[in-house]
Amino acid sequence: MQVDESLDCKGLSCPMPIIKLSKAIKKMASGQVLELLGTDPGSKTDIPAWCEKTGNVFLEQKEEDGAFKFYIKKG
Amino acid sequence: MFKKGILRELFDSLFSKTWPMWIGGILLAVLSTLLFVIKYPWGASGGYVNIGQNLFHWLGVSSLGTNTPINLHTVALLNIFIILGAFVSALFSREFGIRVAPVGELVKGFIGGGLMAIGSTVGIGCTTGGFFSGVAALSGGALFLSLGFLLGTIVALKYILWEMEALPGISMGKSCTLLPGSQPKTGWQRWLGWILILAVLWVVHHYTSQGTSTMKVLGWHILIGLILGIILQRSRYCIVRAFREPFMTGEATAPVAIIISVIVALLGFTVIKYFGVGNAGELSVRAIELKSVYANFWLRALIGGFIFGLGMTIAGGCAVGTLWRAGEGHVKLWFSAAGFAILAPVSKGFIVPWVMKIIPESTSKELFLPDVLGYTGAVILVLFILLLWYIFVKWNEKTGKFSAL
Repeated sequence: MQVDESLDCKGLSCPMPIIKLSKAIKKMASGQVLELLGTDPGSKTDIPAWCEKTGNVFLEQKEEDGAFKFYIKKG
Repeated sequence: MFKKGILRELFDSLFSKTWPMWIGGILLAVLSTLLFVIKYPWGASGGYVNIGQNLFHWLGVSSLGTNTPINLHTVALLNIFIILGAFVSALFSREFGIRVAPVGELVKGFIGGGLMAIGSTVGIGCTTGGFFSGVAALSGGALFLSLGFLLGTIVALKYILWEMEALPGISMGKSCTLLPGSQPKTGWQRWLGWILILAVLWVVHHYTSQGTSTMKVLGWHILIGLILGIILQRSRYCIVRAFREPFMTGEATAPVAIIISVIVALLGFTVIKYFGVGNAGELSVRAIELKSVYANFWLRALIGGFIFGLGMTIAGGCAVGTLWRAGEGHVKLWFSAAGFAILAPVSKGFIVPWVMKIIPESTSKELFLPDVLGYTGAVILVLFILLLWYIFVKWNEKTGKFSAL
């Protein structure tokens, strides 16, 4: 998967990852993919829910080295 | 841990996926009703005050101290065992990890906790004791406290969005995660969870076997605290979201979950108050009716609620949200808990008397809604307000009129 932007939200807790995600995605073009790195377990439900609400596409989620990686395609 | 079988399936169904928040809300309302029957509806800020007062007592600052040690204070014990319950739950679900946020975020945690300390002592009550229990207890002041939370949340959210644009450095910088449970070779974390549960059960037994009713009540608070912590962590129950989300993402999941949970508690509390259920031997029915109804109607509640709303939004967790997130390992919320506990006795000693001098006496009254409207009228009023809030959050979820993101 080609990642166009990466956003580091490690260590941050709710609501900071969602606010940063929203800000970052606004600057991207439709179809581009953002990778968000985070450590808040709440993001596992928050990010897919936010994508569904805002018309962005939640591609997948991985866990590596104690951090989550979320991949979101701008809708 | 178990051989793959039905017990393992049960364990996985409880600890592999996040529970819907409304399920957590119903369970929490039932437990709060049980706490009401045992002694007093669920609250949290009084526990922070007691822990802070003990801290000052140990430091030799007797003017801000207390004679009630933490191990004999029901709410302080609830708070501590909620942290422990959430810790155990996070270990079981492999969601534990000591998450050190950037320094700016840690400072925001401390400031948020401090504002919550001021807000809850000025307004009398936090989102749990003041709002969740207060509204269900048909307190007039609780309605103004809730309005204050809402206004404070809106202002603080505007600040956070501004900070993100103007001072992005605050939420950036060095961070790290220690002992994350999601990594391989962390099976010991689940065993630690079981050991802690056994240890808590032993402590409960230690209290209840002393025989006195006070110790039995304390023992049950420890047990219920552990269960509350597990439910809170699994359902990620968050009252900040209930106030904030309509103005941030527009999602109505959290507000609806909290509405459901207040309605369940309202039913339980009303039955207890109406019939005077509980420790009626020692207390008059009137004293039971006035539980969770504080002398804060209306301006005192509004001011305190506003300050608390600012604090909980900046910290990213209310009094209880701070506890379970602290148990899950978020260091920002450790700072929030510390700010809350340290500032609460200071606010009680210096800020509250000052506020009381400024505001008219007639604006800090105890108002039990059924005294004015009867039980039927009071319950209908609360249900009507909840219905209006429901209509607003669902309409806003569809239209996004008030959502910033």
